[in-house]
Amino acid sequence: MIEMLSAALRTINIVILTYFFLVNGFYILFNLLSLHGLFHYRHLTTYIRFKEIFRLPLVKPISIIAPAYNEENTIIESTRSLLSLEYPNFEVIVVNDGSKDRTLEKLIRFFHLEKTKRVFRKIVDHQPVRGIYASPLYPRLVVVDKVNGKKADALNAGLNISRFPLFCAVDSDSLLEKDALLKMVRPFLEEPEKTVAAGGIIRLSNGCAIKNGQLVRVGMPGNTLARFQIIEYLRAFLGGRTGLSKLNSLLIISGAFGLFRKDVVLQCGGYRKGTVGEDMDLVIRLRRHLHEMKKPYAIRFIPDPICWTEAPESLRLLARQRNRWHRGLVDCLLYNSKMLFNPRYGVTGFVAMPFYFFFEMLGPIIEVLGYLMFAACLFFNLVDFPFALLFFLVAVIMGILLSLISLLLQEFSSHRYPRLKDILIITLFSFFENIVYRQWLAVVRVRAFYDFFRGKTEWGAMERKGFAITR
Amino acid sequence: MNPSALIALSGIVFLVLFSLSLFLFIVVRRLVTDWQKDRFEKSYRRIENDILQAISLGQADVSSRIAARHKHHLSVLTRVLLDYGDLLTGEGRTQLQIIFDRTIRNRCLKSLNSRRTIRRLQNARLFVIFFSRQDKEVLLRLLQDKPIIKLAVLTALSRIPSPEMMNFLFQAFEQDPGSASRIYFNIMFSLGTRVESLLREYLRKPLPIEKVGLLVELAGAIPVRSVWEEIVRLASHPEKEIRIKVARALGNLLIPETAESLIALASDQAWEVQTQALKSLGKLKNPQTVEILVKALFSPHWYVRYSAAQALAEIGETGLHRLKEVAAQEEDRYARDMSVMILNELVQFPGAS
Repeated sequence: MIEMLSAALRTINIVILTYFFLVNGFYILFNLLSLHGLFHYRHLTTYIRFKEIFRLPLVKPISIIAPAYNEENTIIESTRSLLSLEYPNFEVIVVNDGSKDRTLEKLIRFFHLEKTKRVFRKIVDHQPVRGIYASPLYPRLVVVDKVNGKKADALNAGLNISRFPLFCAVDSDSLLEKDALLKMVRPFLEEPEKTVAAGGIIRLSNGCAIKNGQLVRVGMPGNTLARFQIIEYLRAFLGGRTGLSKLNSLLIISGAFGLFRKDVVLQCGGYRKGTVGEDMDLVIRLRRHLHEMKKPYAIRFIPDPICWTEAPESLRLLARQRNRWHRGLVDCLLYNSKMLFNPRYGVTGFVAMPFYFFFEMLGPIIEVLGYLMFAACLFFNLVDFPFALLFFLVAVIMGILLSLISLLLQEFSSHRYPRLKDILIITLFSFFENIVYRQWLAVVRVRAFYDFFRGKTEWGAMERKGFAITR
Repeated sequence: MNPSALIALSGIVFLVLFSLSLFLFIVVRRLVTDWQKDRFEKSYRRIENDILQAISLGQADVSSRIAARHKHHLSVLTRVLLDYGDLLTGEGRTQLQIIFDRTIRNRCLKSLNSRRTIRRLQNARLFVIFFSRQDKEVLLRLLQDKPIIKLAVLTALSRIPSPEMMNFLFQAFEQDPGSASRIYFNIMFSLGTRVESLLREYLRKPLPIEKVGLLVELAGAIPVRSVWEEIVRLASHPEKEIRIKVARALGNLLIPETAESLIALASDQAWEVQTQALKSLGKLKNPQTVEILVKALFSPHWYVRYSAAQALAEIGETGLHRLKEVAAQEEDRYARDMSVMILNELVQFPGAS
């Protein structure tokens, strides 16, 4: 009996080990591709003055859609930030998705909004609109007040009301850098027929100072959880998405900052309601639709336009956020599972979908299974201690190495953390991240599977502290 | 120790060493780049002062002396020349040319033959700014180079609006097989009405549809009013995209004689063409087109109704009067709601319109 169990455990251990090497191999490959992509981008922007080109009249106007639910602490600063963007022609549509706090009241008072009789086409379905507001002082701003229907529903309302051919979906608790749209629109200028979507980098505003809706000083947050998340964001955006974009396998454009061609999104039926991963879902459905229509297309990730967002600083809120993200991931991948290993969907079906399915979605399960296996081996006295210890060390150092590569990519690309001390802090935290934080997150994400199959579709409220405002 | 543990141990040693060296590399690189930046800025200010002196004195011997003084700081000198070469014309530029010829020119020409794209890219912009006629062949070769280099050359070309450069630009536009046409558009646009004769010439040429469309848009965007007859000739083009662009361009040219073509486009079979034509009719402010705009207010297409209502508002008193009438009628609620919205925007939010 013990022998059989021992053989089974050994087999599982081999599977887990193989998985570990495969996943890390992929990450290293993405990092290398990112390095190449970032070098190319840096040279492109150093020797060609895109700003001059973009200010010219062929640049398509953009509707910025910012859904807001209970965002009273950040809504004024983030709307001001959106209104102060450098771009020739744009409108800002803030969709108040039935907030229960003073979000709408604050917007009306600060921007001197008045109710309008604006009419719009209901191309995609959404909850009823209670009122559309505009301001004589801020002609670019439109505020939509509607019955709560969650984020995808609010974005659909914004899509219907928007008037321009490109739309940028942003989170109303985020701040865009002044030239973010100018940089983001580049692929739409270079390949206007082919480019259907582009995403930018999300960074954390915790610890940074904001003035007049703009970030004026980048700083390191004091909160430990926020520091861990800084490393995660660096790894995800610089190491992961830049590399995946090089392979034309990007399946996520963050809901906090993404630019899309409206006509193609409307052809796909807009955002799918009832999912909590509406950002990923849209990109996958765009790929699916365009593959089925046999149209050449491009979805780009640009490593430069930066959107700053506030990260949760408590375990409860972080767990809620990650649970939602993972439920969204599971939902999107299962909903579009017919693309998996389907030759009809090209590289998306053979690289992107399997990567997200086996490594991103099932990753936490394998990881937690590994910990359970270790406990089982310990129980049956089957642990090869020196090997287990060495494997644990390899895993930890591999994690640190990947974080360091992301940090290096950050140094090559934008150099945003100006102090040497920040680099030391990031390195130190990339070590501690592997000790308890990582295991805790894996458990949170496994819990998300349970919640998903139980049918949980709630977002869970995010309590915002608001930006650190410098006067 | 068993073999698997030995492998794992070697892996750890390798990873630790690799991570450590990566960390050290990041830290040292940061220190070095900060130091280099500081040094570069100091040198830049020194060279900039000297160059400004050369420009203000306008004497060739002073410029030659400055060139000799800074010939060992080529990277900084390149940056200063790039920055000022973009800004200056006339006598000031001549002094920069002297400094360029005495210091960087040979190296620049040599680097343009480099196998490394980045090196060619670095030098392409500088070369075009300080281009002289005997290097015409090099310029033509650069325009056949990789897209990124071509883009740099084209961007630099826009800074030098000589007839010869503009000819190069239009020739390159005609011959370009790729998707860079829009970049040409932006560059031609920045040259303004100076492109008039070339634009007329190329509008008459049998170019691919995308290029014709861009030239039409260019005429409207600058605007080059004198080419209106060439644009009107394209109003009956079989391609919808061209007709849309023609309608848009005519709205920017504002030539009263084009009203008839716009009226014809306002009843085009494609609603996108109708929308653009209605917008342009509004800009023309011709009261005789009011009835056509009112008819379009009852279109089944949202954008056609929207453009018609906006155009009526733009025409002024007569248009507003008819808009109010449509807002008061009950037969077609879509036309009514659109009229109400536009009237409301005019009263409440004059800035928005």
